[in-house]
Amino acid sequence: MISFKNISKVYPPDVHGLKDISLEIEAGEFVCIVGSSGAGKTTLAKMLIAEERPTRGKIEIGGWDITKIKRREVPYLRRQIGVVFQDFKLLKRKTVWENVAFALEVAGETRKRIKDTVPHVLRVVGLEQKAHRFPTQLSGGEQQRVVIARALVHRPKILLADEPTGNLDTMNTADVIDVLKKINSFGSTVVLVTHNREVVNSLKSRVITIAGGRVISDKAHGKYILN
Amino acid sequence: MLILTSTGRIVVFAWKNFIRNAWIGLATVFVLLLALLSVNVLIGVNAMASSAIKILEQKIDVSVYFVPETTQAILDQARSYMSSLPQTSSVELLTADQALEQFKERHKNDPTINQALDELEENPLGASMVIKASKVDYYPFLMEALKNPQFSFAIESKTYDDHAVAIERVKEISQTVRYFGAILTLVFVIFSILIVYNAIRVAIYTQREEIGIMRLVGASNAFVRLPLILDGIFFALLALFLATGAIFLTLTFFDPYIRSFFDGNDPGLLSYFFDNSGRIILYEALVMIVLVSLSSWAAVGRYLKK
Ligand SMILES: Nc1ncnc2c1ncn2[C@@H]1O[C@H](COP(=O)(O)OP(=O)(O)OP(=O)(O)O)[C@@H](O)[C@H]1O
Ligand SMILES: [Mg+2]
Repeated sequence: MISFKNISKVYPPDVHGLKDISLEIEAGEFVCIVGSSGAGKTTLAKMLIAEERPTRGKIEIGGWDITKIKRREVPYLRRQIGVVFQDFKLLKRKTVWENVAFALEVAGETRKRIKDTVPHVLRVVGLEQKAHRFPTQLSGGEQQRVVIARALVHRPKILLADEPTGNLDTMNTADVIDVLKKINSFGSTVVLVTHNREVVNSLKSRVITIAGGRVISDKAHGKYILN
Repeated sequence: MLILTSTGRIVVFAWKNFIRNAWIGLATVFVLLLALLSVNVLIGVNAMASSAIKILEQKIDVSVYFVPETTQAILDQARSYMSSLPQTSSVELLTADQALEQFKERHKNDPTINQALDELEENPLGASMVIKASKVDYYPFLMEALKNPQFSFAIESKTYDDHAVAIERVKEISQTVRYFGAILTLVFVIFSILIVYNAIRVAIYTQREEIGIMRLVGASNAFVRLPLILDGIFFALLALFLATGAIFLTLTFFDPYIRSFFDGNDPGLLSYFFDNSGRIILYEALVMIVLVSLSSWAAVGRYLKK
C-alpha cells in the first residue's frame, strides 16, 4: 500500500530530515511511528501527502509513484489519504457539520452526496449529536474527532495521523485512539505518529521507531522503546 | 454538472468569506477607496489645469487692421486666404462700415464723439480681421502667412507682437503642467498599485488557515484561488462604487465654490467628470479588476506552493 525506497530528505542548506529510509506498509495495517523530537516523523508524514518532496528515493502509494507528482495531481492524492495533524485545526466560524462538509464541497461533491456522507462520518466518530455546535463548544478530544471525521469523507484507504493526541488528556486520548482502531477495523490503513508510551504499548500493533532520520527498529508487535 | 456545482460553490464561498470577514473586507474596501480617490483627485486636477489652459489659449488671437481705403475685394481675398489655411481655426472680418457702426453704438451716449464723427466726411476707421489659430504653436506661421503680397500692402498694423510674450507663457505653463501632471499621475498610480496589492495581501493573510485546510482536504488550487479572487473583485467594485458616489457628491456640492474661485468661469470640472463618467468608470473598473485579480492570484500563490 505504502512503499518508501531509500528516501532521504535534505532541508536546504544541510538539515538531514530523513536518511535513506526504506519501509513497506501493507493495506489494512495499523502502524505506529515513534521517535524523539526532531527524529523526522513529521517529515515522513508530509512526504506521504506530497507536502514535502524527497531529495532522493522513491515513494509509491497503492502502486502510484508520487515521487515526482505534479502539482495539479496533489489534490487527488490528498483525497485518498485522510490527514489528521496536531495543528491542523477546524475553522472556528464553521459548525462541526460545516467543517466536515467543507472537505466535500471543495472537492466538488454533489449536495446529495454531502447530505449522505456527513452524518455517516460523524457517526463513526460518535459526534452525530453535536453536529451543529461550533468547535469552541467541544472538548479537545471531540475537536480532534471532528478532524478525523473530516479526514474520512473521501473514504480514504489511508488515514495519516500526526500526534492527534498531543494536546489531549488520557480520557480524550482513549476516545481518539478508539476511533482510529474502529476505522482500521473497517479496513483502512492507519499510520499513527505519536509520542505517547501508553498508547503505543496498549495498541500492540506494528511499531516503527525512528531516530536521527533513520529507522532503528521495526517490530510487528512492538513496544515503546525510547525513554 | 461538476463545473456548475463548483462554479456555484465558488461564488457562495466568495460571498460567505466576504460577509464573515466583514471587518477586514471593510478595511480593504476603505484602502482601495482611498487609492481610487487619490487617482481621481489627480484626474480632476489635470482636467482643471488643461481646461484652464484651454481658456487661456482661447483668449489669444491676432487682430489685423487694414488701411481705411482697402477695397472689399482685397479684404475678401485676405479672409478667404487665411481661412483656407489648415492652421486657422476662425477668421472674423469686420468691414469699415461695421467698425463704424460698432463704434457709434458703443459711444451713442457721448455727444462729443458723435458730433466729431458727423463732421468727418469719410469713415476714419479701417476694416479689421481677427484670426484664431487652432493651436498656439501656429501663430508664428499665421504671421508669416499674413505677409502674402496679395494683401499685405493693405495691412496697417497687427497686434500679435503684444501677444507674443503671453503666448509663450501659456505654452510654457501648459507644457509644465502636462509634464508634472504626467509624473504625478505616474507616481500616484504606482503608489495606488502598491497600496492595492498590500491591502489584498493582508486580506488574504487573514485567510491563511482556511487556505491551509482547503489544501489538506484536497481542494484544487483553482478552488482555493477563485473565491479569493472573486472577493477581491467584490472589494474593488464596492470601492469603485463608493468612490464614484463620493466624487459626484463632492463635486456637485463644491461646484459653486469652485466657480467663484475661477471668477465665475466654469473650469469644467463637474462637466468633465459627467461627460467622461462612463469612460472613467469603465477604465477604473477594468484596471481595478485586473490589478486586484493579479494581486489576489499572487498573494494566494504564497500559500499554494509545493
Ligand atoms: N521546513 C523545514 N526546514 C528545515 N528543517 C526542517 C523543516 N522541517 C523539519 N526540519 C528539520 O528536520 C528534522 C526532522 O523534523 P520533523 O519535523 O520531521 O521531526 P519530528 O520527528 O516530527 O519531531 P516532533 O516530534 O518534535 O514533531 C528536524 O531536525 C527539523 O529541525
Ligand atoms: Mg512532528
